[in-house]
Amino acid sequence: MTSFPAEGRPRAARAGERVELRDRALRVGGRSVPLLSGAVHYWRLERSAWRPALESLVRLGLPIVETYVPWGVHETGPGELDFGRRDARKDLGAFLDLAHELGLLAFVRPGPHINAELTYFGLPERIVYDPACQARSPKGSPVYLFFPPVMFPVPSYASARYHQELGAWYDAVGEVVAQRLWPEGPVALLQVDNEASFYFRDGNYCQDYHPDALAGWHAFLAGRYASIDALNAAHRAAHPAFEACAPPTRFDAQDADGLTPHLDWAAYHEHLVASALLKMRARMERAGMVGVPVVHNLPLGDGGLPLSVPELEGVADLVGFDYYHGRREHRTIKRRTLYLAGTTRFAYAPELGVGAPPWFTPLAHDDSLYCAMTALAFGLRGFNLYMLVDRDRWYGAPIDAAGTARPEADAWRTLIGCLRDIDFHTLERRAEVALVVPREYQRLSRATNLLGPISPTTIEAIGGTPVDGCRDDDLGFAGPVQTLWFRMLARFADALTEAGIPYVYVDGDADAARLAGYRVLITPSYEYASVARWQRVCDAAREGGTLVYGPTLPTLDAQLARHGFEVPRRGRRVLIDTPADATRVVHELADALQLARPFRATPMLLETSVHADARGPRVLFVVNPEKHALDGEVALPAPLRFVDALSGERLSGEATLALRVPAQTVRMLIVEGRDDDAPPPPPSRAPRPRARRGAGTPGGTP
Amino acid sequence: MISPHLRFEGFDARSWTNLLSLFAPGVRDRVEGDAADTDVPELDLREARSEVVEGTLIIVRADDGRVLRAFHTTRGRVRDLAYDGPQDLERVARAYAARRAVELREGVLDELTETLAQRLERSDDYATQTLVLARIVRELTNAGKIHAWPRPVEDVPIPTAGMVRRALDIVLPDEHALVVALWEHGEPWTAVALRRRDGVLDLAAGPDLLFRWAGPLGGDWRRDHRVLADAVARSVAPVHLGIFAEASQVRALLRDPDPGAWARAVAVRDIIVHPTPPYVAVALGADAARAVARTTSRWLGGFDALKPLAPLASYVRGRVGEVGSITALLGFDPLRALARSLAERPVREPAAPPK
Repeated sequence: MTSFPAEGRPRAARAGERVELRDRALRVGGRSVPLLSGAVHYWRLERSAWRPALESLVRLGLPIVETYVPWGVHETGPGELDFGRRDARKDLGAFLDLAHELGLLAFVRPGPHINAELTYFGLPERIVYDPACQARSPKGSPVYLFFPPVMFPVPSYASARYHQELGAWYDAVGEVVAQRLWPEGPVALLQVDNEASFYFRDGNYCQDYHPDALAGWHAFLAGRYASIDALNAAHRAAHPAFEACAPPTRFDAQDADGLTPHLDWAAYHEHLVASALLKMRARMERAGMVGVPVVHNLPLGDGGLPLSVPELEGVADLVGFDYYHGRREHRTIKRRTLYLAGTTRFAYAPELGVGAPPWFTPLAHDDSLYCAMTALAFGLRGFNLYMLVDRDRWYGAPIDAAGTARPEADAWRTLIGCLRDIDFHTLERRAEVALVVPREYQRLSRATNLLGPISPTTIEAIGGTPVDGCRDDDLGFAGPVQTLWFRMLARFADALTEAGIPYVYVDGDADAARLAGYRVLITPSYEYASVARWQRVCDAAREGGTLVYGPTLPTLDAQLARHGFEVPRRGRRVLIDTPADATRVVHELADALQLARPFRATPMLLETSVHADARGPRVLFVVNPEKHALDGEVALPAPLRFVDALSGERLSGEATLALRVPAQTVRMLIVEGRDDDAPPPPPSRAPRPRARRGAGTPGGTP
Repeated sequence: MISPHLRFEGFDARSWTNLLSLFAPGVRDRVEGDAADTDVPELDLREARSEVVEGTLIIVRADDGRVLRAFHTTRGRVRDLAYDGPQDLERVARAYAARRAVELREGVLDELTETLAQRLERSDDYATQTLVLARIVRELTNAGKIHAWPRPVEDVPIPTAGMVRRALDIVLPDEHALVVALWEHGEPWTAVALRRRDGVLDLAAGPDLLFRWAGPLGGDWRRDHRVLADAVARSVAPVHLGIFAEASQVRALLRDPDPGAWARAVAVRDIIVHPTPPYVAVALGADAARAVARTTSRWLGGFDALKPLAPLASYVRGRVGEVGSITALLGFDPLRALARSLAERPVREPAAPPK
């Protein structure tokens, strides 16, 4: 993983920092505020609707309001910005002041790219049509994004001109936001840019061939290889200098010998975005937006993204996923959440879709609620409901554009109230098994995708897998690594689910600390592998875990050069070809290691997930992804009493709990106590923010 | 034709999905489909047998004809595909229970996006951009780099942006609105009001707004339609064309290639067209005339049944010249093209609500 120079790294929280992230919440003035928010787009509402909209947000129990700040809306001409002087709806300062008055905190996202279903994704038209700012295709053409209401050329993350322009934008936003950072104002959380995945034109060879990106490519190679000779050895080339090394423009490797330039190009994409976001964050800080945590959000299709989450965690304080899923995407919701839970600081959704834009797969209220509860079941600890208040180019928000709650708001109010009552963000979902995701193989999948602009990201976002479009060639290996790695992990995920054994995904490039404590690590390994990943998993095995790998011990490093790989202690090499292979291995591990299978449900179609604290289990989720209701039984470790968080139904059981779970529904059961007369643990009640005049104090756990 | 600042508002998930489902029935399958039971679905020919026909089979081939990848968009990777080339697309689509099959030459999608980037102009709106894209796809298809089965619109010429604009001028003149409101078993099912201003469509307003503007309604759509049309006229723009009907009727008509179907529906007030622009009256009249002629010809064994209708036909011909013809402008009949495209999709009628 490329490291950043010391002066470029984001600062760690210092004493006296205004706001910090701690214990999966915002620490604000001695209080802990869970990351629960709702999106309100001030510029899209009548000014008179602001107060009712924010009051509805407060009544829903949310302590934080989120908003984008749209460059293309505030800019009325080159160098001319309106923050409310001419159009009162654009008065961001007044909106934030109102939020402060009502006792809310604010999560502000100034872009520059925001999407928000705005034309040009919220950028000024002059920016996207400035040739110096535009990303370039291999043939030097602009790279267009195909979304309605109009296709437009996307900016280059490498363009110096683009960074210059966005700096001026940040300065302007900073004049409004900086003076409203907590405690002077409500701003307690910021986001740098938005879904920085090359504007969904993230095929390996779609972009970026902008001159500034090519200069960056040469610098990247110079940093990666000690000398031009080392580069030439890896690339099987004879470049006279780094500057002479042109990036690949299409996949043309016939065998393993030709792979390295393509893998390096894929790795450069990750570096390009991360370093661009680092520059943006530094620029935000220069504009006065400093002292509060900074988030970055990744879009759908994270399985195929040209981004490294571990690398982005060196840029933003918290990296999360945006969720827009229907009920039929149960496995995707689960997989993404388990990845966040295993890889990041904690699982967070900067956008948890409520409703959808019109040019997206339609999502109903039941879809949004199912998505939210499934994500919570598998470890989500905070979210931003997007959109909370309806607006142009959206449908399905629980609050209408006049600020009035719709019937659907009731379910959200109940859910949010429950999450706050039990301090859900403080609970733990214990997993003894980690599936380690090999980034070096993901890069190969990206490079070998045959569908060009329909990238692995796009394919996954529309319901496929990130390897669906990959060529089937084995490239001289024993099999097509680009698809086999995903299949192996998927087989184990299926087998673990069937066995009722909780697991998470950990990115192969994540810090070694993320691998600590797991009793079993499972990771694909083929003829080539990342030396760093291999070292980390072997170290974890040495500390007491069992490493399951295979089908082969690597002999080549990530540059396809010969390398001696350690044979892992307590390792088990496996060949997983069929689902039955994975099932057998999981059963053997479960028996040998006595892996926990908490609250196991029958029939197996039901999935369970339990969240606990030091007092024991606090929340049991029972998930039915099927299209028909299921009557099931859940094995209990002790007699327990429950209350359904949404319906209020009370249930109890001694050795088992019998319950009915409707079709495509998640039941969230709060443990009220033990059924053997032991006193139940006292629930924690979080005070709600109250509307009052003057400086607001956010509600939170004292 | 489409404003880059198009406003879209006033829908909820149900009304928006309902509207989409009229023209893209597959959207319901996508929304209501089964969850996958594995993270990595795969199938071979034996596993492919299914009564449910859905999705697309995508095959990518190299220049030398090798299949580089085959997968089903809802069922996953296809193992061991036996495929003899484009003439085999229908067979493999049926064998793998796919609604359609597409063969792509390796690199063609990159070629498509590159060509698109070179041809787009900054002043193009989304409709124009889409036509440019459609034209490039047609070129690549004609060049043998893309093959598809079925091809319901293969003989439909791609109009130019100017042709579409002139057709739009007839359907929805500037500073006017078009409103469609549909009911299901008497309950509002979906509605939309489109406004054209300064030459472009700048507003798509959904039923939340329409019914708020209209205020309380009587509950009988055959009377309420006037209130709705008046509300749109007050809040949006004068209404040029309004279509009000039961959704099931419109779904059936969109699939019906039979001449006279629309005219019959209007005649018996299964559909209310209000107001009725001249070209619609002409079209309905012509539609009726064709239907009468066809039926009468059948009855009379080929006798020239149009002779008694000569005065009507003469009137129609005269008016067509006067007000223009969408079919003549576009070079194809859009309703007929849509009917062909929808013909193979089953109509899923929602159950009537419990009384």
